[in-house]
Amino acid sequence: MPTGHARLDRALPGGGWPLGALSELLVARDGVGELSLLLPALARVAGEGGWAVFVDPPWTPYPPAIHGQGMDLSRLLVVRTRDAKESLWACEQALRGVRGGVVLSWLRGQRHQADFTHLRRLQLAARSGRKGAFLFRAAGVAGQATPAALRLHLDADERALRLTVLKARGARPGLELRLPRQHGEVAAGPETRLPEHGGARPGAGHPGDEARSLPRTGHA
Amino acid sequence: MNETWLAIELPHLALDLLTRGQPPGRDLPLAVSDGGTQRPLIHDANPAARRLGVRPGMAVSAARGLAGALQAPERDPAAEARALERLAAWSHQYSSLVSLHTAQNTLLLESGGSERLLGESGALARRLATELLELGYHARTGTGPTPEAARLAARRGLELPTRQALESALRDLPLEALLLAEDQREALERMGFRRVREVLRLPRKALARRLGTDLVSYLDRLTGARPDPQRRWRLPESWAGGLDLPAEVASAQGLVFPLRRLLGELCGALRACDRGVQALAFRFVLREGETRLDLGLQQPSRDEAHLLQLLKERLERFRLPSPARRLELEAGTFLAFDAAPAGLFPDPGDPASNPVAPLLERLRARLGDEAVTGLRGVEDHRPEYSWARRGLDEPARCQPLPHRPVWLFPQPKRCRIEDYRVLAGPERIESGWWDGHDCRRDYFVVRDRDGATLWAYHEHKPRPGWYLQGLFG
Repeated sequence: MPTGHARLDRALPGGGWPLGALSELLVARDGVGELSLLLPALARVAGEGGWAVFVDPPWTPYPPAIHGQGMDLSRLLVVRTRDAKESLWACEQALRGVRGGVVLSWLRGQRHQADFTHLRRLQLAARSGRKGAFLFRAAGVAGQATPAALRLHLDADERALRLTVLKARGARPGLELRLPRQHGEVAAGPETRLPEHGGARPGAGHPGDEARSLPRTGHA
Repeated sequence: MNETWLAIELPHLALDLLTRGQPPGRDLPLAVSDGGTQRPLIHDANPAARRLGVRPGMAVSAARGLAGALQAPERDPAAEARALERLAAWSHQYSSLVSLHTAQNTLLLESGGSERLLGESGALARRLATELLELGYHARTGTGPTPEAARLAARRGLELPTRQALESALRDLPLEALLLAEDQREALERMGFRRVREVLRLPRKALARRLGTDLVSYLDRLTGARPDPQRRWRLPESWAGGLDLPAEVASAQGLVFPLRRLLGELCGALRACDRGVQALAFRFVLREGETRLDLGLQQPSRDEAHLLQLLKERLERFRLPSPARRLELEAGTFLAFDAAPAGLFPDPGDPASNPVAPLLERLRARLGDEAVTGLRGVEDHRPEYSWARRGLDEPARCQPLPHRPVWLFPQPKRCRIEDYRVLAGPERIESGWWDGHDCRRDYFVVRDRDGATLWAYHEHKPRPGWYLQGLFG
């Protein structure tokens, strides 16, 4: 599934986001640019009639902005759950439910710690539904094993969203990419590539990632 | 008895009938006048005209001095009454008891029965206000345990769904919150009363003797001490509506926006009586003469998006011989409508037609109906009111806006602007002048010390200060 960012497509095995497999995006903090990073792919999926299901997003996806970036709102479903168990269940249902499309899950209550067998279930569900499946998790889980086909770390500085490939089935980890940001959101367009840092674990460098100062909806 | 009433007041109805033909953002100064041809006075003016200094009560000639190009046609009470009837039909989709009070520009809905379907009545009130705004009507809505309480709530922008809520609100409200005649209020003020609770404490007999039985009757209806039966408005079996264009429209494409508003009203009325139409007759009054467009359907429909799509296709090949000044739409016979009932959050009908339906059904069965929603845009400048949850049978229309964050916080959060660095702005947003949620804000894109990019605003009124409202991410 093309990401909408040419350099990122070239960096990922298979030339884009994995289909039929889990992708984990470890975010240094919520709102680092993870949604705008995915919006070109979501817009394409919706444009082809596929559905995008958001499970437990941290805030309200704002329609004028989402639509402004080319996504058809009639193909968006937002699911809110009450606890970790429901969140996993909803995510799995969404992954199995409709063939094709994309599921984004913010995994209520399990961003820092999730059972490998649970993730494995999601991985199987993603495969059976031929879905693009994105889990947003805390940077601190970088050291934990994962069944996901792709694991990226996302962090941002003044000008760019920094992506580090921590795991990619069929590719070497450690690759870093910088996607330029404009007003905090990833702009689709040409991006610059940094020299590679062999297998850096940037997740370890963000102990303060829980210290968010922003209002959140109901997440523990 | 636990009734809940919902009042819809349309304080700007005369003006709305003129402005609703104008797409948002095309902000011509517009006003309606009143008072005959001798010395017409401004009855109401839109924000564009008010910014130039035009005020209700001003002579039209004086207003033209301030706003040279000001259009101020005379209001048309008969058209206002017809519009209220169309809105009564439209609002019947949310309540089986609708009562129409033409003199007060008010509709009263008994909403207790709809609560099961629509969630709490406060949410329904807000939903009705936003939907009416999309149709081009600036409504105030409010809920209360009695019809008069709902009217008072609408006037003050309150939700008083229970008797307890009403009682506690009446303890604090000033005297002018009561919907009294001017002389009644003045008499009470002369007697030294300032708050509603002081009046409610008086013995009714003494009050009736000094100020008449009307006032006592009003207070008793307000608090529910006396029943206030409402006359049920009956749904008609036909529909015709029209709208005057504030500026002449030369291209058929330019008619899509106002026609959508007419179709929205019609489809609401059709949903209310569970009917569909198979024929629509459009009449366009032009600068010279008039022209017609007839739309026939394969089967009865009340699907606004579907009708609009058909209409757009027809309009692409339609030429207006001269610019249009007025639109009229007449619906053919109301016909039985066989499709699966489309609730607000519909029974996921045929899986073949909607592949997401089985998933939706499963999720809702366990998590509850409210837990699974779509999203849509709402035509309101205020970001917190510019989106809504969407039932999957509702169109997902939305106006794309540049420079908006992808995340919106559930509540704006107060902040200290000194803690942030400004990247862009200001963008002035002003709105809500009709419903008491009047506000003026300047928006900025700011960055915090962790590098997060936020959407902040400085509010001038009603709550001056700095707030964070969203996150670019």
